[in-house]
Amino acid sequence: MAEWNAYYRNEDDEEEQEEGEQSGGMVTGRDSLVFLVDASKEMFIKEEDGKPSNFDMTMQVVRSVYTSKITSSYRDLVALVFYGTEQSKNPRNSFKHVYVYHDLDEPGAKRVQEVDELRGSKGAQLAAKTMGSGETSLGDALWCCANLYSDIKLRLSHKRLMIFTCRDDPHEGDSVKDRQGRTKASDLRDTGVIINLMHLMKPGGFDVSLYFRDIITPPEDESDLGLQLEPCAKLEDLQNRVRAKEKKKRVLNRLNLCLGEGINVAVGVYSTAVPARKPPPIKLYRETNEPVRSKTRVFHTQTGSLLLPSELKKAQVYGKKQIVMETDEVDSIKKFEDPGMFLIGFKPMEKLKLHHHVRPAVFLYPEEDDVKGSSCLFSALLKRCSERNMFALCRFTARRNYSPRFVALVPQEEESDEGKGQITPAGFNVIYLPFADDIRTLDAPQLPCASQEQVDKMKQIVTKLRFKYRSDAFENPAIQQHFRNLEALALDMVAPEDIEDLIMPKVDQIDTRLGPLVQEFKDLVYPANYNPETKPAAKRKTGGAEKKPKVELPEDELRAHVQNSTLGKLTVPVLKDACKKFGVRTTGTKKQELIDALIAQYFTKFML
Amino acid sequence: MDVGFSMSNSAPGEEPPFELAKKVIQKFVQRQVFAETKDEMALVLFGTDSTKNPLEQDGQYQNITVHRNLMIPDFELLEEIANQIHPESQQADWLDALVVCMDLLKKQTEGKKYDRLVIVLLTDLCTQASPDELDIIIDNLKTAGITLQFFLPFPAGDDEEGGGDGDRGGSGHPGAGKGLSREQEQGLDMVKHVMLSLDEEDGLDEIYSFRNALEQLCMFKRIERRPTAWPCQLTIGSSLSIRIVGYKAVMDERLKKTWITVDAQTNKRDDVKRETVYCLDDDNETEVQKEDIIQGFRYGSDIVPFSKVDQDQMKYKHDGKCFAVLGFTKQSNIHRHQFIGNQVIKVFAPKDDEHAGVALSALIRALDELNMVAIVRYAYDRRCNPQVGAAFPCIKQHYECLMYIQLPFMEDLSHFTFPSLENKKFVPTEAQLSAVDSLIDSMMLVEKDESGEQKDMLKVHHIPNPAFQRHFQCLHHRAVNPGTPLPPMEPWLKAALERPEVISERCQAPLEEVKRKFPLTAVEKKKQLKTSAQIFGKDTGEPDAKKAKGDEEEEDYNLADIAEGSVTSVGSVDPARDFRTLVKLKSLPFGEVCQQLTHRIEQLLSNKNTHYYMKSITCIQAFREQSVKLGKADLYNSYLQSLKRSIPNRGLEVFWDLLVQDAVTLISKDEVEGSTVSKNEANQFLITDEKKEEVAAPTTEDTGDVDDLLDMM
Repeated sequence: MAEWNAYYRNEDDEEEQEEGEQSGGMVTGRDSLVFLVDASKEMFIKEEDGKPSNFDMTMQVVRSVYTSKITSSYRDLVALVFYGTEQSKNPRNSFKHVYVYHDLDEPGAKRVQEVDELRGSKGAQLAAKTMGSGETSLGDALWCCANLYSDIKLRLSHKRLMIFTCRDDPHEGDSVKDRQGRTKASDLRDTGVIINLMHLMKPGGFDVSLYFRDIITPPEDESDLGLQLEPCAKLEDLQNRVRAKEKKKRVLNRLNLCLGEGINVAVGVYSTAVPARKPPPIKLYRETNEPVRSKTRVFHTQTGSLLLPSELKKAQVYGKKQIVMETDEVDSIKKFEDPGMFLIGFKPMEKLKLHHHVRPAVFLYPEEDDVKGSSCLFSALLKRCSERNMFALCRFTARRNYSPRFVALVPQEEESDEGKGQITPAGFNVIYLPFADDIRTLDAPQLPCASQEQVDKMKQIVTKLRFKYRSDAFENPAIQQHFRNLEALALDMVAPEDIEDLIMPKVDQIDTRLGPLVQEFKDLVYPANYNPETKPAAKRKTGGAEKKPKVELPEDELRAHVQNSTLGKLTVPVLKDACKKFGVRTTGTKKQELIDALIAQYFTKFML
Repeated sequence: MDVGFSMSNSAPGEEPPFELAKKVIQKFVQRQVFAETKDEMALVLFGTDSTKNPLEQDGQYQNITVHRNLMIPDFELLEEIANQIHPESQQADWLDALVVCMDLLKKQTEGKKYDRLVIVLLTDLCTQASPDELDIIIDNLKTAGITLQFFLPFPAGDDEEGGGDGDRGGSGHPGAGKGLSREQEQGLDMVKHVMLSLDEEDGLDEIYSFRNALEQLCMFKRIERRPTAWPCQLTIGSSLSIRIVGYKAVMDERLKKTWITVDAQTNKRDDVKRETVYCLDDDNETEVQKEDIIQGFRYGSDIVPFSKVDQDQMKYKHDGKCFAVLGFTKQSNIHRHQFIGNQVIKVFAPKDDEHAGVALSALIRALDELNMVAIVRYAYDRRCNPQVGAAFPCIKQHYECLMYIQLPFMEDLSHFTFPSLENKKFVPTEAQLSAVDSLIDSMMLVEKDESGEQKDMLKVHHIPNPAFQRHFQCLHHRAVNPGTPLPPMEPWLKAALERPEVISERCQAPLEEVKRKFPLTAVEKKKQLKTSAQIFGKDTGEPDAKKAKGDEEEEDYNLADIAEGSVTSVGSVDPARDFRTLVKLKSLPFGEVCQQLTHRIEQLLSNKNTHYYMKSITCIQAFREQSVKLGKADLYNSYLQSLKRSIPNRGLEVFWDLLVQDAVTLISKDEVEGSTVSKNEANQFLITDEKKEEVAAPTTEDTGDVDDLLDMM
């Protein structure tokens, strides 16, 4: 009956709890995205000024979506379909002039490569050779896409189709085809597919109302916003527009903003800025490269029998005493109240201190579907807070068994750029505020201040180096490099593509711009013999600074340190040695972890 | 601490000074223990029946006991205070006690480094003290650099607490209202004399009453960390650098210690061993040796093997530590809500470098006057990836610094578009807006007082993190009262998290108005699809692979739904699916469908084969899921219970094992209201009983349980 108690536990349990706040959410299916791209001759017309053709631009965007899906949400499904082609290629070959280049699947290295092949003038040649340009039937193309969706055996949570074209009248007046297209579009929309139009530059302007207005899904808020958009002329615009649509808004959680007894506004919490991390490695079996699963078993050291959670307890050591609790008690200590937000009061904006920052903010938007009337009250609060320059102070419990935090709800008004769509949405930014524990006391050094002359010289320097900061201007070099490496390995490339480290100061440019200003400033603030690059005048005693010999710690001394709680006085190398010597298992290398391990060892050995 | 006999005197219904003084010491020691400071502490009692101190000689320094020498406080000390310190029947001169303490400090700090020496005296001053050597004592205190603190049963300054509101003195501070005895008044004068001689200005601030002290000591110490300096150079271009030192100023603080896992019976950590095994994701779950595991990463649909060595060699490398300016930009270009990371770093010039101070000051002031910030590349050291961030100028009365906060990379941002709120349906009316206005007015936390100064009623950054307070409260309780349930939250902590009372009274009417003006109706939702985790009754800890399996099951089921609309009974091919469909169709009564399902389960189990076991488990899972969905727990629970009873007789241990692994528990009250099983029982169900069963098994001779099971349905 030894395996009777078999109990497996995921080893990452605790980490997950730690980091649960950022991940998580209500993921119940896959997102899917179909690029439906016009392959007519018009798409391949090159502009005279060397700008890429519409087709080329589209392929660049498709590629960037592929790679961004790979890095951020590899489980999403993406397809690439051309219409208006000469050749046909689709699952049952039942549609003419529709070419399914990639059917709905997770994007991978090979697909990126295949899209790359369609870029540039070579790409245009390849496209002409393999697909060609022919008749157009949007109805057939949409029908074919509908089949792609229905062939998928997985549950899809979000279905989107983007049409890239520069022809506002695709069937050139063929009313039968027009009607067919409308019918198929409406069928698709009925199955939950959202159809967007990414219309591209066309001589004489792109008239959405001519035909495509009846094809696309009307915008969420029923305003005309979506239709007034200008066609995209620039790659950057197209990329932004696609990026804004391509990702589904994932709500972190939905909860109530409680103003008082019985006044609950339903809100959704969204995260708009989360540090992207390198995805964790996957363990693979050497022979086959297939992923392995890990199971963690907890068993009794002496008897070897497996231990169930009920046979385990949790403990911490304080003041030389081991304090033991049941596992569910440990959870219950963390619980204060059910998830939600509770309004405490209001404060003027200047009371929100810049340096009161402990973690990235989240965004709040009403959920009319949960509590009817939420949007109206939310909007009234937002309006008034914004006009009166106030923020709302709330207590916020984000999840079950999370302790509360105070947050500032800072109003943000909607900003739109004409022709380009929304820049910032209306809603509250939720700023996490520090507790007393989070603020450290520092001894600020007392130093002389600069004279106005010195300040003015620095002002000249600052003014020379001003630029317009944009939050999306810098890529993370470490993550970019990681994915380039993977890409190179996946595609058997000789070497990974080079990355540009955008957060490296452009020293040469800075030097040229500043010219003599640097020396002038240095002359003003530094004495002649001062060199900031070196350490200040030798503080260290010369001569006697021999390296200390390695200290060995006898057992009785260690015991004395444990008893007097003076382990903290020892250095990390000494502690490490002690751990090694007395066979203490350590989980980390931080000082506290070493100390904890030694103390725990001590208690199990000597006291109990 | 004075433990002399007058300390236990008190008016009826009042706590004697002895008890209060003891509490002060207990609270103080607790705080020290949990803050894990390296401060050392000794305990000297006076007024004890016996005498035990190094100075006792020739009848001098009598009735004074050194209870504990200078060392770091621990639970042993707490237990001693709780159990060994009692009111005693002698009296002793508090000045003598002071001398014993001074002597102790002097001798026991020899050869040790220390920041501060403090003697804290807790006494009621009822014993006559001889003032002969007072001046010598004061001189010695001064030379030794010892500071004093007095804790008395009554407030010291009559101008502060006693004078203004005489009626309050009686109830708030027992003893104060009744007038002090002659000895006490004399004693108080001496205390004041000592304190003022030591510190002319603020001497009296270090005299506290027990009550005040208890209020201030009720919370556990906030987490304090010694700031670590990060020396570096701020660079602008290749030839302008300024020496700087960075310190973390604000940081999302975590508890220092994590929970360790111990064996429930022995409470020993070493009795528990954790082992991780790896297995292939096949039917047999073939185990794989650790040496045969390599590392890989996902690149979209591809999994790319990528060893640690290669990864290290190819990874992004940089030159290490840096604080380099990329350029300057207007402060308005930086959005507060785009701050990232969990810390704020304050950047100063080194304290011994005036030139760096002037140079940095020029930069700080230039930025401040231009309303700009520096955008910098920041790398803590070679091992950490570099960040981009903003350095804000910060000019305070006593110092200047730059404040560095991390800004997002392009990869960190998600640009979501939301429907405009300027929608006709949601635009609030004037009446609604004015209701909100009066609500805001009534809930303003910052107000001007009579003198026209702004007063902030709730500075949340002065409140200690409630999670830590609660954590220490519970740990302390468990350490001191083992075997008793955890205490409720401390009332002051609860109150600290609520609206200030003034606000909650003031906002009642405006809230009612808001309630009237804004109709809010909760929308009944169809039940959200349960994730597999919920179905299995587990919140966390499901390996991904399992989750994925769950997903597929549901997906299958949806497809099957469309494909086979006409299920009439629970078949043998896919009983779980049929069961779900039938329950959904409601063509048969639930009980009937359940009976059909359990028949199939029993058939499957009679095969004694892992494959069939797995199939039965999916049936049981379906049974459970549907029962929860319909809110009918009884049939399922009683089936599972009787199934469990029958395990030993039918030799189905292996199957039960699997069921345990999948954590298929009973349905608890938490999930379905009508259930008679508590959550705890549900969880224990799979676990605890097996030992009893081992014993019980041989005695059960009943073989007819299969039929019993079915009859029950």
